[in-house]
Parts: sequence; structure tokens; C-alpha cells
Amino acid sequence: MANNQRGGGIQRPNGATQNKICQFKLVLLGESAVGKSSLVLRFVKGQFHEYQESTIGAAFLTQTVHIEETAVKFEIWDTAGQERYHSLAPMYYRGAQAAIVVYDIQNQDSFVRAQTWVKELQRQASPNIVIALAGNKADLAASRAVDYEEAKQYADENGLLFMETSAKTAVNVNEIFLAIAKKLPKNEGTGPQQNIRPSGNETNRTSGNCCSK
Amino acid sequence: MSPAVSKINSQLSAFTFIAKLWQNEAVSSNGLPLTANSISIFGRFQILKSFRNDNLTQYLNIERGKHERTIVISEYYGSSLNETSNKNIQYENILKIFYQCMTGLSFIHNNDIVHHNLEPSNVLIDEWHNVKLFNYGFYYMTRGDEDCEEYVTFPIGSNIRYIAPERILGNNGNPKSDVWSLGMIIAELVFGISLWTNLKFPIIARKILSYCTTTGSVLEKIARDHNCLEVYNNLNSDFKDLLESCLAVESKNRPTCHEILNSSIFIHHQESIAFKVHKKGIRELAPMERLEISQIYYLWQLTGGDVHSELKKEGLIRSEAPILTVPRLVLLQSSKSMPNYKSQSSLFDQRVVILNTKNLSDRLALIPKRAFYPLLHCPRLPYNFGAEMRNLPLVIRERNIEYQFYRVVLFSRLLKGYPYTRDLIIEEAKKDIPPFLRGKIWAALLNVIPTGRYEKVDKVTPNQTDRQIEVDIPRCHQYDELLSSPTGHYKLKRLLKAWVTSHPQYVYWQGLDSLTAPFLVTNFNDEETAFLSLYNFIPKYLHNFFLKDNSIIIKEYLTKFSQLVTFHEPALSKHLNTISFIPELFAIPWVLTMFSHVFPLHKILHLWDRLLIGDSSYPLFIGVAILKQLKSTLREAGFNECILLFSDLPDIIMDTCVIAADEMYEKTPKSICHRKHVWRTEELEIFDITNIELSDIQKEISPRISANNLIYLLKEKPNQVVVFDLRPQNDYKRWHIRGSINLPYTNLMLSDRRLESINVERNTLQDKVVVVISVSHDNASLFADFLVDCEISMVSILHNSINTLHSILPSNLFGT
Repeated sequence: MANNQRGGGIQRPNGATQNKICQFKLVLLGESAVGKSSLVLRFVKGQFHEYQESTIGAAFLTQTVHIEETAVKFEIWDTAGQERYHSLAPMYYRGAQAAIVVYDIQNQDSFVRAQTWVKELQRQASPNIVIALAGNKADLAASRAVDYEEAKQYADENGLLFMETSAKTAVNVNEIFLAIAKKLPKNEGTGPQQNIRPSGNETNRTSGNCCSK
Repeated sequence: MSPAVSKINSQLSAFTFIAKLWQNEAVSSNGLPLTANSISIFGRFQILKSFRNDNLTQYLNIERGKHERTIVISEYYGSSLNETSNKNIQYENILKIFYQCMTGLSFIHNNDIVHHNLEPSNVLIDEWHNVKLFNYGFYYMTRGDEDCEEYVTFPIGSNIRYIAPERILGNNGNPKSDVWSLGMIIAELVFGISLWTNLKFPIIARKILSYCTTTGSVLEKIARDHNCLEVYNNLNSDFKDLLESCLAVESKNRPTCHEILNSSIFIHHQESIAFKVHKKGIRELAPMERLEISQIYYLWQLTGGDVHSELKKEGLIRSEAPILTVPRLVLLQSSKSMPNYKSQSSLFDQRVVILNTKNLSDRLALIPKRAFYPLLHCPRLPYNFGAEMRNLPLVIRERNIEYQFYRVVLFSRLLKGYPYTRDLIIEEAKKDIPPFLRGKIWAALLNVIPTGRYEKVDKVTPNQTDRQIEVDIPRCHQYDELLSSPTGHYKLKRLLKAWVTSHPQYVYWQGLDSLTAPFLVTNFNDEETAFLSLYNFIPKYLHNFFLKDNSIIIKEYLTKFSQLVTFHEPALSKHLNTISFIPELFAIPWVLTMFSHVFPLHKILHLWDRLLIGDSSYPLFIGVAILKQLKSTLREAGFNECILLFSDLPDIIMDTCVIAADEMYEKTPKSICHRKHVWRTEELEIFDITNIELSDIQKEISPRISANNLIYLLKEKPNQVVVFDLRPQNDYKRWHIRGSINLPYTNLMLSDRRLESINVERNTLQDKVVVVISVSHDNASLFADFLVDCEISMVSILHNSINTLHSILPSNLFGT
């Protein structure tokens, strides 16, 4: 396993002074078993587990990337994929500045589900949220069911970042997080400890959820 | 039931082989690595352990070593047929051997297993010519169900002399092939010969195949070949017909085991040819003979028995220089390496090693005889053997042979009396549960009584939860050999589907797989018990958690959890509240899977050993105990560090955790844990906690206590309770609880958050349940918050106003 291998400008250049630290809350959404947790694990720890356990509720991890003079700290909420856990999702994407919606390129249904997530985010999440679409399991292209072109076109139409990724081979994993980091505005959301906590108990805000099924 | 006395001939034995290695990095269609063949074998083997038949040796265990090394441990009995002289076995005894072999074969055929490994070395007999077939599951365990994919590289049944012609031609899986093999073995006995001793393998194969192309009796041809025509001609004609039918060239012309067993020559002699051994009186039995062979094996391991080293000693496992495993040739373009030279040490060696049990018998000899047969209802002869070891740490008790002996013998006895002995089982399980009998003991604790209902539940019809179940199973505790085997996947799927079909009101939530896993691994060969255990477990601990909309239930549970953290760890709770570290963010998998998604299996087993004895509130205390164990880290940490800690839960010491949970559980009045959404067997009374809404308790940091519980404490444990009465002094003077402290709310200055400001000594509240009572619930609540802020533990608020108490307070508790 390529442990700790984090190419592409993630490691801080030696001796560089840090001017600015930005914190962003990022949420991963998508059908179950498409590889959300695996993407995070690859990004944060450089690891890959063949039998990555299912996520119940949600898991939280952090990772910092460096873009030029800025350190971008991602606070990542990795959510449960099963449809039933949907009611928990708003707690995690509310207030998020970025989201990665993941599907499995071998599974058309997961792509459809991804589109539903995108719609929900566009309607319910912060208006400026940066959304990336990740077609995961790119190493299994032999059994592909979702066309690259089709997904690309969909992403373009909706203003989403798009990459086909592979948590297993690490292809495009760091790249997609970096692309998000670049796209995020660095002048806001910078205060430490701001906006990162899931806003679960704000009962007044949960009512607007209209695409729960 | 095998007669206890037969065990004089029973020994522990082992043999080993290497499962087929996959070429490096082979991947299956779903992107997951191919399951190691030794794992597939491991899963298939399990069912063999459950076979009990007089004419079969008992399989005991399977172990995996490095590089697909697989070791099978089995009972061995007497000596094998090829070690005993074939000559001069009397006709009656041949009949006996024939019949008993058939009985054994018939049993495995009825279980859809073919032997295919039947040859004299696998037919074990004792001095009375009783037979037990050995290693009858070898073919079964090394072949998959689909397309008979092979998990080993060598053929099963290597002695060509006994292999049926259709198998020589490559047709496997036909039980009639076993009938042929047995026919050949019996033919040897009848003629007093060994077949073709001087012929080479291909010649023998050609000979057998030539029988198939020519007409006439195979038996006769064999007789001719070995100059036994005279014996052949003089054979009892019924017997001869039967034997010849076994050796029919076309398998369809051979009788089935069942037909053979019902043939006239056997039916008439059944009494004299069935398995029977000389019975000894109890006093004559050696210690080892008093135990079942599976118990012997379990205890043997505890005496330090190590099958790997025994096989090494015999040269059956040889290590070789690592340099020899480096490929000789690697093709750069395809990056494929050429197959290594065939290592000698990985070839299949058929030898069977008898395991040395001297240590065990020496240890057992020191155990008092009475301990082998503990009397349960005889106060004069108590059965508390091993009581002096009870206070040793659990890890030591679990590895101590004497202690485990006492526990296994005792629980085996208690389980035989179940369900009538259930109370005793609970009492004993509170001490500890021997791993050897865990599945059955758990089932008893959960009130499981198999009824055969499981068989009737539909586990096959496809439905919409299938996809979810299918993606979850290959991710569920896959480090475990049982759960990662194809057999394990198959069984887990059946259990989950069965549970979903039998609960139309509930749905499959991710996590149910983890919850089911511990029951499957503890009852791998008994799906019904696994199922019923799960079936009874869920209403007890997770009532309504699997409703389609379970949000209210989860919210209530987590609110109660927060209150309990405050109740037992006020300072920690204060800190967690400050940083908004709410249980919703980390405790959902704890609750929904009863920690089975959070910990590795070996920890879950110990945790559940205790959990199953507690009531529905017990898991809450485990949660608090986990926080308590991490307290020092959590108190220093901010939100991010806290949540990171729980995304990757650190090593929790289960022993300490359970002890802490126990302690808190004992100290906490029942009503403190009151939840509305609990499966109740008894109705609540008016002075219990009733009519309370989720929105109310969500506002309260400290839990409520019922009037019933308060009165109980005042009566029975007056030293463990402190009551703060917030009413005005005049009301207090009119009546009050004896010993209560009057702090009129209107006089209180709660802005000063120090205990000194109310003139109460901290040590007067230590280790006591603090109950706040008031006419106004809000006031009580505010005062309770104040106490929590002062880091006072076990603070509670009386449910309903104090006036209800007045009517039921016993007169001797009134103060004046």
C-alpha cells in the first residue's frame, strides 16, 4: 500500500511559511458501497482496505492540503449510504462548503442516486457549496456501466467538478480534493471552529426537507 | 448417542495439507480479492463438526497456518483396517464391518456429502470389529458448491484400487461411487487379500477400466486375479449377490446405502452387527473417558496443546529457506512470474498424527472425581468447584484448564436441564461464560427454545433489501475466518433475510448485519439458534429500533444516554456540552448495533457475555463506561479531537469497561433509565415514571427518578440518598421527608455556581443519589443544573411534583 503517499502539493513545501489557514467542512454523499469511506481513507491516511466496513451514522476525519501559501483544512463528514439514513444527512451537509457526491462506475443506479443527491444539495445546502462528482472504482473499468462522457456532460451542465477516481489505485483521489480546495473561496469560512459542527438540533430548520423519498 | 465407554479407543489426531494458492493479486468480478481457498475450506468444514454417528469419527477443528497451510483435527479410533491383518477375519465380523461402514456412509449421504476417500486406511476398527469411518469429509470440504471448484491441487482418494470406474473417468459427486469403494474393501476382507500389491498405478487403472468393457462379475474377476476362485464359489449366495451389486460397473445398477442396509442379510443380524462396545462402570473409567471428545480437545488446547508443533515434530510441516520461494523467472512485460518449482514441503502427505494427550490426562487425574458429575440440587455436596479462582482476571480463567473444566462440565449439565435450569444458568453466567459453550448459554439467557419455526421462514425469495444485504455482508467483520468464508456469507444472508421476512413491521437497517454476526459465529452450525437468539435479542435491547422511521426511538435513547453521562460523569458531560459533542455524532452505531459495529469480535463476545445478563438499560452504561475510560483524553480535547477519537475508536479495555458499567448499573435506580420505547413485560404503575414526552426530557440535563424508587431508597438505603427540598420553609415545616435538606428556592442565589454558596459540604453528597424535589419542576431542573455545574454526580429530579409523594410516603419517613 502506498502509505502516506500524498503527491500533488499536499505536503507542505519544506521551509515554506504558512500565511493563511482555511477550514472547510466537506461532506461525502452517495449510494452505499460506492466507496465513500474508501476515498476518505485513501485521502487522509493513504490506505485502502478491501473490506472497508460499512458506515453507520457518519464518520469524521480531517486532512490538510496546501495550495500555494494557504493551508486548507478539510473537515470531512463521511456519511452512511443506505437510503434509510437519509434523514441524518441534512445534519451533515448543512453548513458544508463542499460536497463530494460519489457513485460507482459499475452501477447505473448509483449514478441516478448521485444525481438525486446533487439536486438535494442544490436545493437545501448552502448556496455557494462546491460540489464534486466522483465516479469511483475506475480501476474496474472493465465492468463499467456508466459512460465517462455521460457523467461528464451531466457534471458540466450542473457546474460540478468531475473526476473518475479509484480509491484502490489512488487515481484522482488527491486530485479531486485539491480541485475542490482550489475552487473554494479562501477569504471566507476561515475562522477556526466555525461552521464545522453538524447542526443537528436546530429543529426549526429540518422541516424544509422535501426530497426525502 | 454414542456410548461413553467407546472412548477408550478415541484419540485426538491431525493431518495437514496446503490449499490451492491463487496466482498473485487475482481479483474476482466485484473487485474484491478472491477468497483464500483455505478460508473457503474453513467455512465448509464447520458443518462436519456437528456430525454425530457411532460409525463416524468426530471432526473437531480446523486451523489455518501461513501460506494456505490447513490443519484438520479429528477423532481417531482404534487402528486402521490396513494396519490390521486382512487374513482370517471371520464371516460374522466381515458382515459387521460391512454393515457399520454402510451405516456411516448412509449418514453422510443423507447429509448430501460424498466420501470419495474411502480406502482401508480411512476405515478404523477396534478389537470388537466396530468401525468408524475416518476423514469422510475431505472431499466435501475441499470442493465448492458451484461447479465443484476445487480448493486443493491434489485429488481426493489417492488409492486407485478403491476408486470407482466413473471417478477414474472424471465423474465425481455420485454417492454410488462410495458404494463401489466399500465393495472393493469388503472384497479384500472376504478373500483375505490385498489388491494388486505388486502392480503400478496405471496398470491398476487399466485393469479396473477393463472390467467395465467386458461382461461378467467384477467380483469374480478379482477372485480370478488373486487366485481365490474357490472362496468366491463358496460364498453365501445372498452375501455374494449383495457384494456383486456394489461392484456393478454402471453406477445406476449399484444399490444405495439405504437399500443395502435393508437387505435381508443385514436386517436379520442387526442386533449382533451394530456398533457395540463393552461397557464399563463409572468407577472403572479413566478421567479422559468421562468426557466427550470435543471437550477433550478443548481442554487439550488449554494444557498447551499445539497442533502445529506436533505436526512439525513429525515432519509434516517443514519450513524451508525463504530464498527458495523467490520466483525463478519473471516476465517483465506481463509482470507474471513463472510458477515456482514444486516445493516438496507443500505436497500432500497423507499421514495422520496422533496428538499427545499425556499432559491433559495428568491434569485431569488431579481433579476430584466428584467434579465430573456435579450435583445441582444437593446442598450437602456443593458444586462450586473452582470458586477460589473466581477472582482471577478473566483472561486467566479462560486459559486455565482446571477452571474451564469445572465450568464446561457444570454448564453442560445445566444446559441439559434447560429451560428448567434457566435461573441457575443466569446465576452462573454472571460469574463468567466458558467460550466453549457460549452460543448455547447465550441462547439460554435469551430464553431461546428451538421450535423448528426457522426452517419454515422464507430465506430465499428475492426482495428489495437483497442488494443492501449483499453489499453489506462482504464488509462485515471480514477479518474473521468464519464470516469471510463463502459458507459464512451464505448463512449470514439467510439469517438476515429470515429476520426481515419474519418482521413485516421492521426493515433492514445497515448495522443489522453486524448485530447478527456474533450470533452466527457462536452458533455457526445451528442457524436456528442463531436466528432465535437474534429474534429475542432485538426486542429486549433494541425495541422498535428497526422501524422504518426510528428517529424518535434513537433520539430518546441518545437523550437518555446524555442524561446518564451527566448522572455519572458531570464534569465530563459539562465539557462535552460546551464543545457541542453530542451523542448523535458518535453513538448511533454504538446503539444500533449494540457495539458490534464498533469493536472486533473477540471484544464483542466478552461485552455481550455481560450485556445479556443486564436489562434493556445496560447498554447505556457500557456507553458511559467507554466515555469514562477515555475521560482524561476527552476532557482535554476540543470538538475535532473528540470526534476523531470516535471515528477510529481506540483500544478499549473490555474488562475494565464492563466492571465500570456494572458498578454504575448497580448504583443507578431503575427509573433513572426510564425510556418510553422499551419492550415491557409489566405495566407501569402510577408512581413509576409515566406520561413523559421526549420534548420534556430533551430539555433536562439530569434524569428523573420515580416516587417508587425514591421511597425504596429512603427505606432500604437511607445512607445512599440525599434529598433537597426546594419548597418554602412553611410548607417544609408542615411535612417533609425525614432527613431532607430544605433550601427554599426563592432564597437561592444560583448565579454563584459554587457549592459553598448554598452551604452544602461536598462530601455529604459523595456517592449518594441526590434527589431534587420541588413543587415547580422547572425550579427543580434549574437547581439540578446548578449541582451538575458544581460537578456533583448522581443528581436526579423527582418525577411529578412532591405532592404525589405525600400520599404514599410511609409514616415513619415523615419528618417533623
